[in-house]
Amino acid sequence: MKNLKIHTENMYLHYGSKMALNNISISIPENKVTALIGPSGCGKSTFLRSLNRMNDLIDSVKIEGNIFIDNINIYDKNIDVVNLRKKVGMVFQKSNPFAKSIFENVAYGPRINGINNKTELTEIVEKSLQNAAIWDEVKDRLYDSALGLSGGQQQRLCIARTLAVNPEVILMDEPASALDPLSTAKIEELIVHLKEEYTIVIVTHNMQQAARISDDTAFFYLGELIEFGKTKKIFTNPDKKQTEDYITGRFG
Amino acid sequence: MEKYRIFDNELEKLTERVVKMSHLVEEQVSNAVLALNNYDIELAKHVIENDNKVDKLDVKIDKLCQKIFALQQPVATDLRYIISSLKINNDLERIGDHAVNIAKRIDALCDYTDFSKEFGVDKVANQAVMLYKDVDQLIKTHNLILATDIFQNANLIKESCHKISDKIIEEMMLQKEVIVVATNIMIIVNLIERIASYSTNVAESIIFVVEGKIVKHQKKDDENK
Repeated sequence: MKNLKIHTENMYLHYGSKMALNNISISIPENKVTALIGPSGCGKSTFLRSLNRMNDLIDSVKIEGNIFIDNINIYDKNIDVVNLRKKVGMVFQKSNPFAKSIFENVAYGPRINGINNKTELTEIVEKSLQNAAIWDEVKDRLYDSALGLSGGQQQRLCIARTLAVNPEVILMDEPASALDPLSTAKIEELIVHLKEEYTIVIVTHNMQQAARISDDTAFFYLGELIEFGKTKKIFTNPDKKQTEDYITGRFG
Repeated sequence: MEKYRIFDNELEKLTERVVKMSHLVEEQVSNAVLALNNYDIELAKHVIENDNKVDKLDVKIDKLCQKIFALQQPVATDLRYIISSLKINNDLERIGDHAVNIAKRIDALCDYTDFSKEFGVDKVANQAVMLYKDVDQLIKTHNLILATDIFQNANLIKESCHKISDKIIEEMMLQKEVIVVATNIMIIVNLIERIASYSTNVAESIIFVVEGKIVKHQKKDDENK
């Protein structure tokens, strides 16, 4: 495998007494798109949220095993979670721009990281909006409210906001599920483009989307990692019957 | 789950049509060879006329595959099955065409029956019929043991065809007056060889469906090594 970015070893996660992830060991390569697929409740979003410790916000969560990013155990007690989340950004299903201007949405992260120089901020905002493939659409209205953008534009703005703090990994939880086909196509194209600089892990219920944009696919079921492999292999000739049944829609 | 009931119905329909196509082509090959061995012009005409049934079914199968690709976005075994159905359909249609081309040349042999019997074309033609029966069974059952038999028997047929062609060339050099009929026989032998060749294509496609392996060209690669 190429350079590893993320790997987990015998990872278990419980919500109270309920096991949500059961002995997950996976190696996610750098500068690739890895898709997590599986039916609702299979643990894929839980797994995604573990990668930047978003699950810490839930009281009843208990995690065992190890998760390494760049060979550093992110659950080590010395880890600064704020820095971790800067390094491992996240984009959610529903776009969630702040009720501020387009500029301020993107500048927000750099600002709280101590960057206040206007020129520097402007550069970061422009570069982030360009990398999120929305610059041309918003460059003439940077100080308009972000809430006036369309759903697809808002989602790309959220991606720009994530890019502005210079992450290395971007986690995406169904980033295009609420968008029309045209906006979905733009987001997908953007994801494929972004992998040149970032490692991307995406949860999606859209099988065709996983097939189109990911290099590797992991199939989760009932908290277990059933199969992980090259996307083209998973979608043409998966090894496990459960994977075949799921992706062909003959599950259960 | 409604979508997948529709999808499964479409796949069933595709299977039915490919099996029907295979059966039609089996009839065409058997009748063409029977007409060839008995110099039966009427039966040969029947084969030629029946070709449009094969062509019509060919188009119907192509259209159904297109529809399934467009509307169902198949993956995994379904994807391999539909890709292979398209290819098998194409190969069967070609085999059907070759049966028709054999039938079209029988008329030219009728005045030279003694000469044409000399080369053992009837034997290799019967072997092609038996080979095709295995192809038909393989399409229906996906039993890969048949695929191995098909590869072996097709090779034997191809070898016999090459030997017959060499003999015919020798004969043409000795007797110039038989050149026309001998050329017709050689073309027929070549068509039989092509039927064997397309039969191996079908076997390769079924292996792709069942095992997901692409085995075509492997034998050539092995030979080159």
